[in-house]
Amino acid sequence: MKKYTQTSGEIGDFSQLPIWQKYAWVDLLYVSYGLLIVALVLVSYMFGMLHWLPYDPQQINMDMLMAPPFSQGYWLGTDFMGRDIQSRLIMGIQAYFLPGLLAVSISLLAGVMLGILSGYLGGKIETVITYITNLIDSFPRLVLILLVVAAFKPDIYYIMMVMGITGIPAVATAIANKIRFLAQKNFIEAAIALGLRTRAIILKHILWYNCRALLIIQATLGMGEAILLETSLSYLGFGVQEPVASWGNMVQSGANYFLQGNFWPSTAPALAILFTILGFNLLGDGLNNILEDRRGR
Amino acid sequence: MKQLSVVLLLAMSLFSTVAGVAQAAESSKTVRPKGGVLNYGEYGRPATLDPITSNEMISMRISELIFNGLVGINERQDVVPELALSWEVSPDNRIYTFKLRKDVTWHPRAGETPVRFTANDVIFTYNIMMNPKTITPLKVRFEFIEKVEKLDEFTVRFTLKRPVLNALAKFSFKIIPRHALKNPLYLTRDDPFVQHPIGTGPYMLKTITADREIVMVANEKYFKGRPNIDQFIAKPFADQNILTQALTFNAIDMIVLVNPRSIAELQGDKRFILQPYNALSYSFFGYNLRNPLLADKRVRQAFGYALNRQEMLSSFFNNQGTIISGPFAPGSWAYNLDVQPLPYSPQKAIALLNEAGFKKGADGIMQKDGRKLELTLLVPIEKESEAVKRVVLAFQNYLKNIGASVKVEFKEWQAWKEDVFADHRFDIVFASWVFDDSADISSLFHSAEIGPWKNNFGGYSNPEVDSLIVESKLTLDHEKRRTINRKLHAMLAEEAPYTFLWTLTNYSAYHKKIQHVAIHPYKFFSYADEWYIPVSEQKK
Amino acid sequence: MTSIPLRAIAYTLIKELMLTFLLLLGVSFIIFAILYAAPGDQFNILLEGQLPTEAARAGIRDAMGVAQSWYGQYFSWLLGVLSGNFGTSVRTGLPVAGELINVSLNTLYLTLGSMVVTLLFAIPVALYSCVRGHVVAVGWSLTMLGYIISALPVFWLGYIAIYISIHVFGIFPLVSMGNPSQSNAWLSTLVPILVLGLGSGTLSEVIRSLREELSRVMAEDYVRTARAKGASVWRHAFKEGMLIPVTEIIAAKIPFILGGAVIVEQIFNWPGMGRMAWQAAQDRDFSVIMGITLVAATFVRLGSLLQRIICTAVNPHQANE
Repeated sequence: MKKYTQTSGEIGDFSQLPIWQKYAWVDLLYVSYGLLIVALVLVSYMFGMLHWLPYDPQQINMDMLMAPPFSQGYWLGTDFMGRDIQSRLIMGIQAYFLPGLLAVSISLLAGVMLGILSGYLGGKIETVITYITNLIDSFPRLVLILLVVAAFKPDIYYIMMVMGITGIPAVATAIANKIRFLAQKNFIEAAIALGLRTRAIILKHILWYNCRALLIIQATLGMGEAILLETSLSYLGFGVQEPVASWGNMVQSGANYFLQGNFWPSTAPALAILFTILGFNLLGDGLNNILEDRRGR
Repeated sequence: MKQLSVVLLLAMSLFSTVAGVAQAAESSKTVRPKGGVLNYGEYGRPATLDPITSNEMISMRISELIFNGLVGINERQDVVPELALSWEVSPDNRIYTFKLRKDVTWHPRAGETPVRFTANDVIFTYNIMMNPKTITPLKVRFEFIEKVEKLDEFTVRFTLKRPVLNALAKFSFKIIPRHALKNPLYLTRDDPFVQHPIGTGPYMLKTITADREIVMVANEKYFKGRPNIDQFIAKPFADQNILTQALTFNAIDMIVLVNPRSIAELQGDKRFILQPYNALSYSFFGYNLRNPLLADKRVRQAFGYALNRQEMLSSFFNNQGTIISGPFAPGSWAYNLDVQPLPYSPQKAIALLNEAGFKKGADGIMQKDGRKLELTLLVPIEKESEAVKRVVLAFQNYLKNIGASVKVEFKEWQAWKEDVFADHRFDIVFASWVFDDSADISSLFHSAEIGPWKNNFGGYSNPEVDSLIVESKLTLDHEKRRTINRKLHAMLAEEAPYTFLWTLTNYSAYHKKIQHVAIHPYKFFSYADEWYIPVSEQKK
Repeated sequence: MTSIPLRAIAYTLIKELMLTFLLLLGVSFIIFAILYAAPGDQFNILLEGQLPTEAARAGIRDAMGVAQSWYGQYFSWLLGVLSGNFGTSVRTGLPVAGELINVSLNTLYLTLGSMVVTLLFAIPVALYSCVRGHVVAVGWSLTMLGYIISALPVFWLGYIAIYISIHVFGIFPLVSMGNPSQSNAWLSTLVPILVLGLGSGTLSEVIRSLREELSRVMAEDYVRTARAKGASVWRHAFKEGMLIPVTEIIAAKIPFILGGAVIVEQIFNWPGMGRMAWQAAQDRDFSVIMGITLVAATFVRLGSLLQRIICTAVNPHQANE
């Protein structure tokens, strides 16, 4: 605490140029790492679609159960059924790609709509929308998903739909707050005074100029969350089911042997999750900083 | 593992022996030290603790500590007196008269004088059990009893509807106290008794802690003499990997059933004893014969030849089990050792499929009359069931090798049961049957058992098998029945309504400080009053 | 903070309480609707171990009463809850209310503890990377560490924590709340709290939004003015930049942490709501699930209520708008 009060002089230097340069460098690093991961994911997705894999991800090898990495052509070793971990990691992206996009688009689309309605119109509509978002927020997310999945069907699309819905409030609240903030600064009044049409104000001036960073962050976070959530559900037995590969069920099945000292089968997919989520998060952070141009000011 | 249970029973005494009993039971009790605490790890929290409403193994094991039956089964599988001192059987085998012990009292509740156990309790238990409003899996097992009467305070007489082979063993059902229930007519889970039962057994329920650890203390007045170990504590675990770690870290002293994947780890540890006990169960792939593809016997036989069961057993279960050839659990008197399990022979499997009219298509999948050999395997979802996953994935792979395509579909347990037993929406299932006392398979393969919520879910119907089953049930002569069952075994092995896989050996793991451990195949704690912990080991 | 604006707080309190009531009503209704629409019978759990023949089902109907219409079921449940009766569990026959008190307190302990852990890590890191932005090495590596830990699957993190506790520290981090005889019992509760606090994806988000808020406030005019005058930035930025965002994030993260608790409770054998919810979801145990979600939602609403009150106390004008 002492330091902060003493170093007001240094805080004065906050917006000096050298720091700006340093930050931009970090941001660029974040973004390029994030883009690299996104590219890797996309390429792996394509490879998986085209079945350009080192091995058939379903091919069982009973003589090579849980082989360590670099053994006999299995670069990343094999899992508890002797299946190639590398091929399954690549195939595992299939499990998240479309469902994750579905979840993210549900939260973004519905969130943006509700956010605009409540922020722009205000009044009774705002009250109703706040109630809805608060309602969604009041459920413990994992319990809700567990309930739906256990009651209906353990299907990744069900999981992701519920997840998309539970992601709505965050987006809606953020958008509404942004609009309120802009209104406070008389931004919207000014736009109306300039004779701009409502649609243009909302789409171009509010969403595009002012909310894109926020939306990008929400989207990248959403993808990361989708992966972690499926992993948690796999642990509880209700994630993506075998023999379909998902990173979650790979970590889960491998973790059964973790405490016996067989680390690799769960560590490989866990690292894949780690690098991917890190990539998404850093991409969001970096883009946010660059787009908002915050650090330049 | 979630298992199905066959609720019709035969005689206990004819069944396989309990393995691994270290010492003879007669060795004098007095030398055994009293005291000590045994913490054992369980797979979850029991729903109820009474013997009537409970329907899972966890509760069943606990009620074995708290309650007694009229008769018991000793370590050599003989029927021995428990609450009954002696009994008489009428010449026509229909009337069983039990003389009860007069020195038994119920566990006292706080501030209560101990209540004596009498004939009224026996009659009460039977009436509670058979009341339609009591929901209990026991009911169907005792429908052979016509009536029960109290002759005097310590004598009861059961009249059977028809003579039943080895009926005596069935009187091992647990007796509950008449004075402890709120509702004198039937028992539901609303009754406080189901959570805080009192019995006559070696241990009394003391408390259930906030995290549902169940603490049981020695019954000083137990009619067979005070049990040796002071306390049994059941600790529920939600994660089986952690359960094993808890044992190796001495946080618990015993695991009732070791997960197959942990056997190798515990085998190498000198501090623990892995004790095998025979689970009265076997695993199988069951076929839906309503599917025309599977109605052909040769296709089912081909699947049997396609599986390398030995490979699965050694890779997934550390070789802890026995491969079986037919519908009875091995070691049972009914099991026919002359019938060999099918050998692994993909060539033979393919030959059989060809014989049945299947030809390999361009995509490598067998087809007949334009119909591909594509089937759905329905498996119930379970947390930590990677042993099950391994078997079904290997199955899929083996069948792929002979040109049959299997789609594995996991379903939530209730939905699975509905699909398999009610709607018959499946081609193949992987499951295990657990036999309560014996290998009565009549409900599994008799054609009268086809229909919603009946055990013959595959729709297997064969008049020859039907008549053999009926014949076997009607005969009271043990040797004759054995011959019939051997014939039945051979026939069903040939007909292959199931592909019979194996009986797994169950293992209990416990710290070696616990002595004289004998384990009952499925009730587990039947002989726990004789276990003991040496004085030097009693302190942690 | 010169004086606490009591009137504004009271107004906020009343408004929030009414909203909370409406929200809890909504939550219970939605959960009920899901359960009701789900296929399968809620009494199936009683028939485990036997085949649910017609006779057995008839027995259940006799003993448990005939199922009412959906609104009848919902309203009788609702009336029960309003008079403090949460119903009984189908599985155990125990009254739900008593069980709920036990498990919810345990879960509260777990979640509050893990929130403290999250904040203890996140606040310094956010401050460091925001205020002293040019000390890149420390702030950056701590931020990265936070990001990395929260990007790992929480149950896997739990296994690692257990492995490390056993093999490095020689303790077995299993909770036995009913057994206070162990002198260091509270120590082993630290491990699950740490795992839930650092893992489960919350940490990175908390760091991020705190940093955002802080840098936003730092750029505000009044802070700049204060800085120019050479006054303490810390005092000026505290309310806006620290107190409000921190409370906001805590309130927003409660549902997440409660979700993560489901996993952590399974691994560490923590006798809480999450474990109970998992069991109940599989058993379709209506009253238990409804009770748990209601309590969980109450936690969430209480968090938000507290946050509003702090907001109002700091900035009374907002409430009167």
